[in-house]
Amino acid sequence: MSDISLTSTKPVWQRTAMRDLIAVLILAAVAALGYLLFPSNLALLTRIIAVMLLVLSLDLVTGYSGVATLGHATVFGAGAYAAGIFAAKFGVTDPLLMLAIGALAGAIAGALSSLIILRGHGLSQLVLSIAVVSLAHEAANKLSAWTGGSDGLSGIAPAPLLGLFRFDLFGRTAFIMAVVLLIAVFVVLRIIVRSPFGMLCRGIKQDPIRVRAMGAPVYFTLVKMYAIAGAVAGLGGALSAIATKVVGLDSLSFTMSAEALVMLVLGGTGKLYGAMIGTLVFVWFEDRVSAINPFHWLTIVGVLLVIVVLFAPKGLTGAAETLWTRLRRQS
Amino acid sequence: MKKLVLASLLLALSSSVTFADTIKVGVVGPFSGPAALQGKNFQAGINAWLAVNGNTIGDDTIEIVYRDLPAPDPAQSAALTQELIVSEGVQYLAGYYYTPDAMAAAPILEEGNVPMVVFNAATSAIVNASPYVVRTSFTTWQTSTPMAAVARQRGIDKVITVVSDYGPGVDSEAAFVAGFTGAGGEIVESVRMPMNTNDFSPMMQRIKDSGAEAVFAFLPAGPATLGFVQAYVENGLKDAGVTLLAPGDLTQEPDLAALGDNALGLLTTFHYAVSHDSPENSAFVEAASKAIGSASELSFPAVGAYDGMYVISKMIEATGGNQDAAAAVEAVKGLSWVSPRGPVSINPENRHLTQNIYLREVALEDGQYINKEIQTFENQGDPGWKAP
Repeated sequence: MSDISLTSTKPVWQRTAMRDLIAVLILAAVAALGYLLFPSNLALLTRIIAVMLLVLSLDLVTGYSGVATLGHATVFGAGAYAAGIFAAKFGVTDPLLMLAIGALAGAIAGALSSLIILRGHGLSQLVLSIAVVSLAHEAANKLSAWTGGSDGLSGIAPAPLLGLFRFDLFGRTAFIMAVVLLIAVFVVLRIIVRSPFGMLCRGIKQDPIRVRAMGAPVYFTLVKMYAIAGAVAGLGGALSAIATKVVGLDSLSFTMSAEALVMLVLGGTGKLYGAMIGTLVFVWFEDRVSAINPFHWLTIVGVLLVIVVLFAPKGLTGAAETLWTRLRRQS
Repeated sequence: MKKLVLASLLLALSSSVTFADTIKVGVVGPFSGPAALQGKNFQAGINAWLAVNGNTIGDDTIEIVYRDLPAPDPAQSAALTQELIVSEGVQYLAGYYYTPDAMAAAPILEEGNVPMVVFNAATSAIVNASPYVVRTSFTTWQTSTPMAAVARQRGIDKVITVVSDYGPGVDSEAAFVAGFTGAGGEIVESVRMPMNTNDFSPMMQRIKDSGAEAVFAFLPAGPATLGFVQAYVENGLKDAGVTLLAPGDLTQEPDLAALGDNALGLLTTFHYAVSHDSPENSAFVEAASKAIGSASELSFPAVGAYDGMYVISKMIEATGGNQDAAAAVEAVKGLSWVSPRGPVSINPENRHLTQNIYLREVALEDGQYINKEIQTFENQGDPGWKAP
């Protein structure tokens, strides 16, 4: 008990800053470990970080704000295609500029799609979100002069990072850029979800009618959150475009949206680290199993998902938390 | 004594020159999911080649490393390719069923010093993505263009084109329209159908109303094809004498049994029919049927893989098993041989196959539906390729 009374004497911002610092250090340590232990899998690790940004973004709207969506790849794809089109058609090849374009496009796509998705509630919301991603997918397929259609958008050649570091075969530059990006996004999101605005979103998730009765704007707050989430996923899309150098229709697909939701549920909703752990575990596991048995791996992944959902309905982080509190009570 | 030392020295030298090695070939393809049959055909083609020719070239042993990519996913393709090069240490990359996947792998070939032999992906521009890309399949332009000549030869003046609205469909439409209007024919209408169309009756009515004498169609192999051909017959277009023309994707052999009598007399142009009559093909079909388990599952990706393995073996021969992508690709430029599909050669300019395209008619022989070859267009290049 004594340590709790000790920390509570410090101002709130100091305590949270301390926790953020620890979280950032853990993230950096995990990334460094990945870099050292798997030097030949950096492309996969970069891909995982890009997907993490999508799942984090999904967590903002679903986990924190209670918006049900199966179309979240819309904002990821918007970022990927925007960064890709600017690089391939207009020669904007500076990677940092491409990231900025991706974030902006994601934010715009997020705000626009939220105008439609937020019109519905519950099931109708889910259906609207699927409609949005299907429309975006078909638009990208139709506009093949710009997007390459089903052949994919190729010809993206990112310039060296800061003019110094080339994107190499081993994917070192892309990985380090991705890790720095993830940490920056993580810190910003920690601040946002703790802010009065973030609290308001959580309030809306629990009881939108009550929040409205209190005089707070429900609709506009959610649109704002959607735009922020869009920027985060857009960054992920742009990162994917830079690292892969090709953007395909899959980045705007229903499948991708659904997989993101599976990863979020696997990790645990409403927690930033839940989104990251879910993505890491899911994509890494998928990659390993498919390498071991390229012919029947989907079955194995399916069976394991069923087991997780049956025995750890709050996701991996939820299960770990339950276990932790139980252990502490016993000791 | 001196002789002995010299001899052992020589032995040591020679053994270091002919250093026996395992050469890994990384194969990326759809081995699970809805297109698993095509991946299975990749595997059958590879195994058939290994069964016929053995897995050693000189002192080197070939080892195949498979990676699964069930659907077009360039990000995953790039990650798998990079991992194959960097961590598995493959000297050759092969496979790639979908265009975006091949496109995503191409940018890292030069730095990885690895040639890539495309077993299927059929967009003309892929060979421009890297000088280390060689393709042993076909392009949609290559298989669709001769159909325009067929239509003109049969006295058809007015055609309606109906294609699935995605890359290959659009390519196919462009190839046919270019060839047909170039030969003085008239395209009365061009329709693009959404990818997941399942009810084709309205489309058949539109074809009827258009007054065309023939319909040129492209759909991806699978359930949609079955629905399209059935609607074509049931809506009376076949009886009304509206000819159905298509590239061979529409009548790939594993689908023929399901298409049944509806498909009889259907005209398609393609680079390979399992029923092709040649000693090379009967040897291939025998080995590949054994590899895939059942002859009825054999389809065109198998021959792309079989020829791809031949090209890789020639590359290994030319480089003596050393990793030298530039020399390997240079060695197979202009290479010509007799494939199970007929005589082929690699065009040194674009590293794509020049090959015969056959006009085939679906026929019933010995109780089995086959694509019976009835006309040959010799030495067809890729009309869709543009120099970068």
